[in-house]
Amino acid sequence: MTSLVSARNVSKTFGSLRAVDDVSFDIGQGRIMGLIGPNGAGKTTLLKAVLGLTDCEGNLSVLGLDPFRQRKELLRHISFIADVAVLPRWIRVNQLLDFVESVHPGFSRDRAKELLSRTKIRPKSKIRELSKGMVTQLHLSIISAIDAKLLVLDEPTLGLDIIFRKEFYGNLLNDYFDKERTILITTHQVEEIENLLTDVMFINDGRIVLHASMDALPERYVELMTSGENAERARRLNPIFERDVFGKKVLTFEGVGRDQLHGLGELRTPGIADLFVAKVKGAAA
Amino acid sequence: MIGNQVALIRRELWEHRSIYVTPIVIALIVSVMTMTGQVLVSTIDKAVDIAILGATNMGEKERSIAMTVLLSGVSSVLILAMWVLTIFYSLDALYAERKDRSILLWRSLPVTDAETVISKLLTALVVIPLVTFAVIAVTHLVVLVLASIWLSVRGANVWHLIWGSAPLVDNWTGTLISMLALPLWLSPFIGWFLFVSAFTKRSPLLVAFLPIVILPMLEKSLVGTTLFFEAFFLRSGTIPLFGGLSTGEILRYDTHGLRIDGEVPSGLLSLLDLSGFFGSPSLWLGLVVCGLFVTAAIYVRRYRDDS
Repeated sequence: MTSLVSARNVSKTFGSLRAVDDVSFDIGQGRIMGLIGPNGAGKTTLLKAVLGLTDCEGNLSVLGLDPFRQRKELLRHISFIADVAVLPRWIRVNQLLDFVESVHPGFSRDRAKELLSRTKIRPKSKIRELSKGMVTQLHLSIISAIDAKLLVLDEPTLGLDIIFRKEFYGNLLNDYFDKERTILITTHQVEEIENLLTDVMFINDGRIVLHASMDALPERYVELMTSGENAERARRLNPIFERDVFGKKVLTFEGVGRDQLHGLGELRTPGIADLFVAKVKGAAA
Repeated sequence: MIGNQVALIRRELWEHRSIYVTPIVIALIVSVMTMTGQVLVSTIDKAVDIAILGATNMGEKERSIAMTVLLSGVSSVLILAMWVLTIFYSLDALYAERKDRSILLWRSLPVTDAETVISKLLTALVVIPLVTFAVIAVTHLVVLVLASIWLSVRGANVWHLIWGSAPLVDNWTGTLISMLALPLWLSPFIGWFLFVSAFTKRSPLLVAFLPIVILPMLEKSLVGTTLFFEAFFLRSGTIPLFGGLSTGEILRYDTHGLRIDGEVPSGLLSLLDLSGFFGSPSLWLGLVVCGLFVTAAIYVRRYRDDS
């Protein structure tokens, strides 16, 4: 596995606030990494550092380049949406395509046209005439038409309806993604991308609280739904988190074998959202 | 690098349509005013209308000077508008993209901050003057055509009186040179405006002009000197391009009435003193100040974190 993004002891401070606190990780080629964290956890700061939009301490290398100092070179090989709905309102769709075509060597206008032909967006329209959803569709179509080794999406579907969100992720997986490409994505709607991801990374208070491949999760984590006497016995195995669901207790375990919990209740692999809550709240408790 | 500049400057023209809309609108107004002026004047006094353009009782040289004055009058209105436009453009150039957050899109593409800021500087220094000049040249032709129609209706020989004595090539060359020289002379202001538009969180106009007004006042009351006043206000009026000739000397009023001084050079080009302009230390000092402000603007765009 070649490492596309490599971070060693990366930190970023704003005054006394450590937005990213001594973080180390690797993202391999051909992976889809989900970066999950609450607001203010440092997700966006970390993404900005990866994209060369902000300077940071420590060693950070993206495609073998220093993102902040070799930003222009890096941006030829990656594409990203820093935030949705930031297309300038005065520009026309075809002007925007002209501009991207002339500054980005990896942009395929034909591909963008093909993607746009599936929408109601007309080339002569000005951005101000488009709905918020259409602006996002346009932005996503443009970056999807860039032949990039790394695609970074920060909350790409914020404010879009569910039909478009499903369609977008479907297209991302079917049309865009292949073994050569790597995707780094953040979103609050974790459930929607759960099946898409190959890797997941949780970040809280600037620190990584979990970094694992999706395949490894069932081995490391297990959720037990139980009640009464059994719950009491299960607690002795040191669950990392406990919550109530319909009068029953749900206990989350890390590194506890399923055979040890056998017979104590219903076992299953926790979903990412539940696991996230367990890791973040469990650590705080 | 050059390909990117072309794309970036084209983007400036898409965004700031006022770069060509403003001069066109003003040119239309000037053309209408010139025409109504001619008609109005000639209804008052039959001799006067011809004094403006192609008077028969003038020699070739006087007619040519009168023509230069008319053409330059049209130019100066548009050049004044150009300077106002340049101020507003420079103050908006790096501010609007932050206000509408589109900077996040621009910075997601493989274009450096230096390339972007330089494209905006080039727009202010070169593109706006060239666009305005094109409008001026067309306006000159329109004004002369309108005058020709008016005069030929009154039975004058316009080919001889107007087109024969209109020093167009001379006037256009001189105008173009002055228009490219003026922004260079005022470049420290342009650099300052770009810098303000890169850093200010609100009202760039106010932030840019407050120090220009307050610093000279402070200096005068605290130190008693007028260095800032001279740098800010005298600079705009004393461009060392015109060999010290003031337009007041062209028209003479004496016992023979109002007349044009026959001693002044008839063309605009011969008034220009390029070696004086490029030899002026003030020009080069100004360009250095402009360069410092532009570097600061690039630095701010690169290192600021707006999140």
